[in-house]
Amino acid sequence: MPKRSILHMFDPMSNNSPFDINMALDTGFDVLMPYSNVKLDSIHGLTQDAIFSRSPSGIKRTAIFIGGRDMGLAMDMMNAAKQAMVPPFEVSVLADPSGAFTTAAALVACVEKQLKEKHKKALKDCKALVFGGTGPVGIATGVIASLAGADVSLVDHMSIDAANDAAKEYNRRCQGHLSGAVAGSDAEKAALIADVDIIFCTAKAGIQVLSADVLAQAVNLKVAGDVNAVPPSGIAGIGATDASIALTHPAGAIGIGALAVGNIKYKVQNKLLELCLSTEKPVYLDFREAFIEAQKVV
Amino acid sequence: MEKTFILHMLTTAKNLSPFDVNMALDAGWVSAVPYTHVEASEVKDLVQDVIFSRSAKGLKRTGIFIGGRDTKQATDMLKTAKNSMFSPFEVSVFADPSGAFTTAAGMVAAVESELDTKFNTSFEGKTLLALGGTGPVGQAAAVLAAQAGANVRIVGRQLDKAQRIADLCNDEFGDGKINIQAGTNADIAEYIKTADVVFATGAAGIELLNAEHIASAQQLKVAADINAVPPSGIVGLDAFDNGKEIAGSPSGAVGLGALAIGNIKYKTQSQLLKTMTESDKAVYLHFEHAFEVARQIVKSSK
Repeated sequence: MPKRSILHMFDPMSNNSPFDINMALDTGFDVLMPYSNVKLDSIHGLTQDAIFSRSPSGIKRTAIFIGGRDMGLAMDMMNAAKQAMVPPFEVSVLADPSGAFTTAAALVACVEKQLKEKHKKALKDCKALVFGGTGPVGIATGVIASLAGADVSLVDHMSIDAANDAAKEYNRRCQGHLSGAVAGSDAEKAALIADVDIIFCTAKAGIQVLSADVLAQAVNLKVAGDVNAVPPSGIAGIGATDASIALTHPAGAIGIGALAVGNIKYKVQNKLLELCLSTEKPVYLDFREAFIEAQKVV
Repeated sequence: MEKTFILHMLTTAKNLSPFDVNMALDAGWVSAVPYTHVEASEVKDLVQDVIFSRSAKGLKRTGIFIGGRDTKQATDMLKTAKNSMFSPFEVSVFADPSGAFTTAAGMVAAVESELDTKFNTSFEGKTLLALGGTGPVGQAAAVLAAQAGANVRIVGRQLDKAQRIADLCNDEFGDGKINIQAGTNADIAEYIKTADVVFATGAAGIELLNAEHIASAQQLKVAADINAVPPSGIVGLDAFDNGKEIAGSPSGAVGLGALAIGNIKYKTQSQLLKTMTESDKAVYLHFEHAFEVARQIVKSSK
């Protein structure tokens, strides 16, 4: 009898995300095993327990998923898992904290596609802002766009220190070129968006970050993408299902809504999970692979 | 390939109840996934993670179960869950903290049936004592009986706590349309003289009604006890009793024991879990729905 496929889901939080559970089961994993409140220094032991309890053919049907809310911790956990492998006792690992890697990858890939098709531009030609930039999706979005060459600022709605700290930390971790910014009031937002080409909105669900009046100040805007699926949308004028809507103000700019991004994210996460099951040689997948996959999907 | 049935099981407690896990898997859910120590403030995010990761079609094969120990908390979580969804991203939610909603439903339906078959009457206008009634089962049973027309008194060790629970039942669970009273154990000897129905839902091993109480209960018709561990909460009542006359009752009252009630509870919970997998539209289930199902089950078993 072939071994059942098992996904060990390591999570530093008190619970796994139901999103990841649904995705993993829909990808075809037979058994999901949640591990909650996992600490970084437990990863080594957990990983070795996962690899040494099945034959090399059995561990091809075994994989590890790393969740949580913190991108840096997830990256550290991924490294710890990788270092704990003892070839041929090796399993695939996918890190996607809060789904942030796949959501960010989908968001950036969608924006990149519209930039190219509607404005003949690449990310490296563009200046971008990430609102909600200090949350997991915001940071991952900033990192991916920055590594693709865009000039990116992470925007926090309260604290410039929080934004600068996040930019600095992830520049160090990922060799990006992020900067930080703060914008709480409409006036601050309007000033900030005046000269940008791209706006990513990754703020909390159900909060409108940019009103129509503020958005109209973004005279250079080419593409804006929003990941908030709960009304009202994060950016005025972009509906959740809009895959590519022409905004009225500023004219010529294109908007991408949350469910359009979500649709790509869904396919990317599904593909990465599938890869963990189908691969001959173990793979280690994070936001980089997620972005490559998202570029293929769009 | 058809999507697999996934039930996301939320509890405020440290662990799920294995009872609920077995029930869910036996009812046809393929994966039962635990979420423990869940706080009320986390429900919205968890629910939205559930609904946004499957298509509308897949969501019909996805559900949320709310366990825990606290009826108010579970009811609030059910409301939050419902309010966190919007069409077509909706899944069914079933709240049954400590199994209390389905246990209460089973007990009330069984008592109603005994009133009907043995005494040709209903809950309407009856005087009902919910002894040990401050716990989750007592609360839900008191509300269901009050909604069916009984004059209910929740009796506990401390009057102020019983009063607080009665207020909670009236305002939160009964929408202000019922008027449950409170009482204390010290007055049971007095209350029992005019009681038509008794629910015993106290802690295991504590006798709430003794032989003297039974002897003085001139109009007692049905007494139900959910305690399966001897001694029972009502003297002379055995866990297996299913409508057997209570020894020493001057009014010919009958008794319902824990296992007779448990049997209906079991079927009720199972049916509700199945309803979630079969329903075309998302359903939000709590003690009132459990009672409807329990009534059907009692009726069809006759």
